[in-house]
Amino acid sequence: MTSYRLAAGGAVNRGQLLNFTFDGRTFRGFEGDTLASALLANDQMLMARSFKYHRPRGVVTAGSAEPSALLTVGNGARREPNARATVVELYNGLVAASQNRWPSLKHDFGTINNLLSPFLGAGFYYKTFMWPAPFWERLYEPLIRRAAGLGKVAMQADPDRYEKSWAHCDLLVIGAGPAGLMAALAAGRAGARVILADEGFRLGGSLLGESASVGGMPAADFAGTVIEELAALPNVTLMPRTTVFGWYDDMVFGAVERVQKHVASPSPDLAVERLWRIVAKRAILASGAEERPLVFGGNDKPGVMTAAAARTYLNRYGVAVGSRVAVFTNGGSGYRTAADLVARGVDVTAIIDARPQSADPMPEGVRVVRNGSVVATKGRHRIDGLIAERSGFEEVIACDALAMSGGWSPVVHLMCQRGAKPVWSDEKQAFLAPDIGKAFLAAGSAAGFDRISDCLKDGANKASALLRDLGFAAYEADIPDVEGEYDPSFAPLWYVPGAKDKAFVDFQNDVHVGDLGLAQREGFRHIEHTKRYTTAGMATDQGKLGNVNAAGIVAGMRGVSPAEIGTTTFRPFYTPVSFGALAGTVRAEHAAPVRTSPLHNWARKNGAAFVESGLWYRSAWFSREGEKSWRESVDREVLNVRANVGLCDVSTLGKIEIFGRGAAELLDRVYSNSFLKLPVGKARYGLMLREDGIVFDDGTTSRLSENHYVMTTTTAYAAEVLAHLEFSAQTFWPELDVRFVSSTDQWAQMSLAGPKSRTVMSRIVQDDISDDAFPFLAAREVVLRGGLQARLFRISFSGELAYELAVPAGYGEAVADAIMEAGRDEGICAYGVEALNVLRLEKGHVTHSELEGRTTADDVGLGRMMAMQKPDFIGKRLSMRFGLTAADRLQLVGLKAVEADKEIKAGAHLLKDQAKPSLANDQGFVSSACFSPSLGHHIALAMLKSGRERFGERILVWDGLRGSEVMAEVCSPVFVDPDNLKLHL
Amino acid sequence: MSINLLQRHVLEDHISGFETDPNPNHLAVVRRPVIFSVLAHAGHEAAVAEALKAASDLAPRFCGPSEWLAVSQTVGAETIGGLLSNIPGASFADQSDGKVLMTISGPSVRKILAKCVAVDLHSDVFAEGDSANMLCCHVAANVARTGADTFEIIVPRSFAGSVFDELMEMGREHALTRGFSD
Repeated sequence: MTSYRLAAGGAVNRGQLLNFTFDGRTFRGFEGDTLASALLANDQMLMARSFKYHRPRGVVTAGSAEPSALLTVGNGARREPNARATVVELYNGLVAASQNRWPSLKHDFGTINNLLSPFLGAGFYYKTFMWPAPFWERLYEPLIRRAAGLGKVAMQADPDRYEKSWAHCDLLVIGAGPAGLMAALAAGRAGARVILADEGFRLGGSLLGESASVGGMPAADFAGTVIEELAALPNVTLMPRTTVFGWYDDMVFGAVERVQKHVASPSPDLAVERLWRIVAKRAILASGAEERPLVFGGNDKPGVMTAAAARTYLNRYGVAVGSRVAVFTNGGSGYRTAADLVARGVDVTAIIDARPQSADPMPEGVRVVRNGSVVATKGRHRIDGLIAERSGFEEVIACDALAMSGGWSPVVHLMCQRGAKPVWSDEKQAFLAPDIGKAFLAAGSAAGFDRISDCLKDGANKASALLRDLGFAAYEADIPDVEGEYDPSFAPLWYVPGAKDKAFVDFQNDVHVGDLGLAQREGFRHIEHTKRYTTAGMATDQGKLGNVNAAGIVAGMRGVSPAEIGTTTFRPFYTPVSFGALAGTVRAEHAAPVRTSPLHNWARKNGAAFVESGLWYRSAWFSREGEKSWRESVDREVLNVRANVGLCDVSTLGKIEIFGRGAAELLDRVYSNSFLKLPVGKARYGLMLREDGIVFDDGTTSRLSENHYVMTTTTAYAAEVLAHLEFSAQTFWPELDVRFVSSTDQWAQMSLAGPKSRTVMSRIVQDDISDDAFPFLAAREVVLRGGLQARLFRISFSGELAYELAVPAGYGEAVADAIMEAGRDEGICAYGVEALNVLRLEKGHVTHSELEGRTTADDVGLGRMMAMQKPDFIGKRLSMRFGLTAADRLQLVGLKAVEADKEIKAGAHLLKDQAKPSLANDQGFVSSACFSPSLGHHIALAMLKSGRERFGERILVWDGLRGSEVMAEVCSPVFVDPDNLKLHL
Repeated sequence: MSINLLQRHVLEDHISGFETDPNPNHLAVVRRPVIFSVLAHAGHEAAVAEALKAASDLAPRFCGPSEWLAVSQTVGAETIGGLLSNIPGASFADQSDGKVLMTISGPSVRKILAKCVAVDLHSDVFAEGDSANMLCCHVAANVARTGADTFEIIVPRSFAGSVFDELMEMGREHALTRGFSD
């Protein structure tokens, strides 16, 4: 036995036994254990294989910076790879497995990489696997990926729920150690809204693992009393198991709460993880400090860990990490660990102190080797001894664990995520948090304070300062006394010379000192280049333990201060966050809001197939029995509209109510055509340009009364047009009295089109709608038979005699049903947007397929819509630019296939007859295409160079993407009823 | 020929099946509220706001500068339309069919809504009687606090099904129930 559970002590609940398995073996732990502490308690020191060399690894830390003890937790669809054993909360039934090994953790074939390591230095694959080029993707990369790596992700769908939530507070305190607790207490007592978040499952931070006493009681008990008081305050929210991972604009913090990651079967009513966006007026970073590993030969052997980790396992979990523990230190932390171990009856074989002398109190009976160092560790799967060196003499010291301390690095990650770099302090020999203003302060050891008493004081002081800033009455916190503190100061030691084995800097990516040297020699000298070349700091731990050592070592190699080397860039996330948490509820049917028309039910009853159009679900076509393809349905619908009558849902078009005495003038300025004299009771087609003269949107606007208009927009640009109107009215012409509001959702709007539409509509509408009383482009409020108020417009997109009827949305389904009933004898059919598209193509009407952000009014044949006699309208000036009036611009034309059965596809390019298929010979492209059932062949609208001069020319329609070439004749874009006789029936 | 036309609520299909008694956390859909958009013309902003505040039988909901929703659950659209037409400098449009009104209430209401809106709904910030436009479940909504633990949410009709489903999903851990209010 080496590592073992002590008979008593620790903050675990020894009355609550938990069973779990690791690589198939059953173990027991206690409630309050982490997976790592429970494995250590069972003497399972070997936990993992390293990423590249497959070296045996155990724990290095007792917290979230853990680089080595990465395990796969859970099974089936809940299998989660790369979980850090040091932060996985133990639960009954937990299943854990080691990863990156074959056939087993103890006998791993991949260790061959360790033997080959002289050839596998940093960047080896950039140099080695260069030839032949195609082998990289097909052979080399798959092989390297197999040999090196982490755990494997579960391929099944994630069965669990995730969600996101917002929180708001005056003060966010990140970290519930001594500084964080006092900060939260000061703010909580002052009445501020406080959120205290900590990544641990038990609040208290380092106090849970320290042997000092605070306020006359054990540090962990003190933490307990503070948390009890905080929990009772209604203005304080405690968030354990919550990692604040990012700091974003406007003091928004990202955090992830592990709601049910510590249970075997999560409740289906609860999220397993919850992503928080915390909006804080002020924040305190009390994330503590990380103990640095020492960089010496064989420093990665299972059993070698930081002194603070050994202390935490001892004091918090009641686990001795070895029965004969050696300590290698350059400061007080090593001595404190030795003292704590001795006090709990654990044998400490030696303290090897890198310094020539120190004032740290020596535990009684423990040998101290001053000015010493460790140059190698012994043992195969775990440490069983070390080689110490002093003044040129080597000595083997037997041990079954080695606690190392290389000094402390404040955890300043969050404060550096928005560009500010940490600042080197010669005094502290550490990178400290940068000054980033008065809203977000570091406190406690995150701010460079190293004693508990100073951290307690600093937390309270910083909170009080921030609260005064927010206008809260100053609150003087009573700072408890601390007894049994130690001096954690240290002398810098970046690299221990004389290593007889690899000295690792980045444990997770297997980067050792030799790799850093190679990077310098090969010119990758900037620390960011060194990082990318060696991959130091690029693993999932983002170099939490290794980066500062890497900077120090590179500084030593170059003979400069670490201040000159600096750090690499800090970015979210502080620790890995699952994709599930980032997605939240936004998956499957909740992926995006669904927008349904008031006629959705009517369409469904009539057999509609729906198509997503933005967020809208529009009825695409209406299948009838016996129809085998969508085309059959669409062809039938089109022919029926041309011959009889059809009903189409056009509710998704944008509708904007426009009020005010200045409305006519505003419309005249935002549309390119004239609107000033539109009479009451009339609709008019309008074209809007952008400032740059390009077409923006089109639609109809109707004047319902003197100062009340209703505008329709395309479905896609409904919101943009409203914003454009508001912007124009508010900024260009504030003197115009005009107001707007969207009424898109208020109205169910249906188009009734076809030669028999008047017959059918007159059975629904009470008013006289004869051609005399209600001519083309009439627009009025009408009353339906039965009394319902509605709006009727005589406008047509299909080219047929047509009406658009708008009724309050709640009545949409009933009115559509009534129209279908009223038109039964006329052979009415429902038709969808596919048929609508064919109808408008046959009629040569344009949509956003043609008005696609590059075309002018003239390009699409709407030059007559430019009322140049108007003093001004949006887009007028720039529409006269040379480039927009050039004769060889692409112009809208029609195309018909020369051979009737040949299909023209949208997106295909146009070439002169006999021209070589190449974009160099490009003459234009097909913007929309369809089969025209009215004509019996394929037709298309296309943009063709000087197209209007080329009617009758035969051109080649070349679809290079789908590999087809079709001959077509250029023609007028209006295929049906060019003289508009049908509109005026 | 007279046609008998029935109005149908957009959430009819979402609220079907076995009805249970409401839990403490409950989402009630108001079947036929009267909701008008009200716009104040330049120079009349304050007067229109005052008139809306003073009017009986309607609750004004703030949407943006010079824009409100006038909501009534007690009188009909004609009454509200008549009332609004007497306010000088105001234009208005009936949106009763274009908007869906839901009332969510209960002890966990803020926890549920924290998953739906980014706005701070603490009573010090968003007090009883306050209302504002905000995104609710990714949809532009007007949210009003009508009681200590009661909020009214108005969303566009076309999005109502989506928002309703999302609210129910967010309320799952708090045993949120739902139903029409009448």
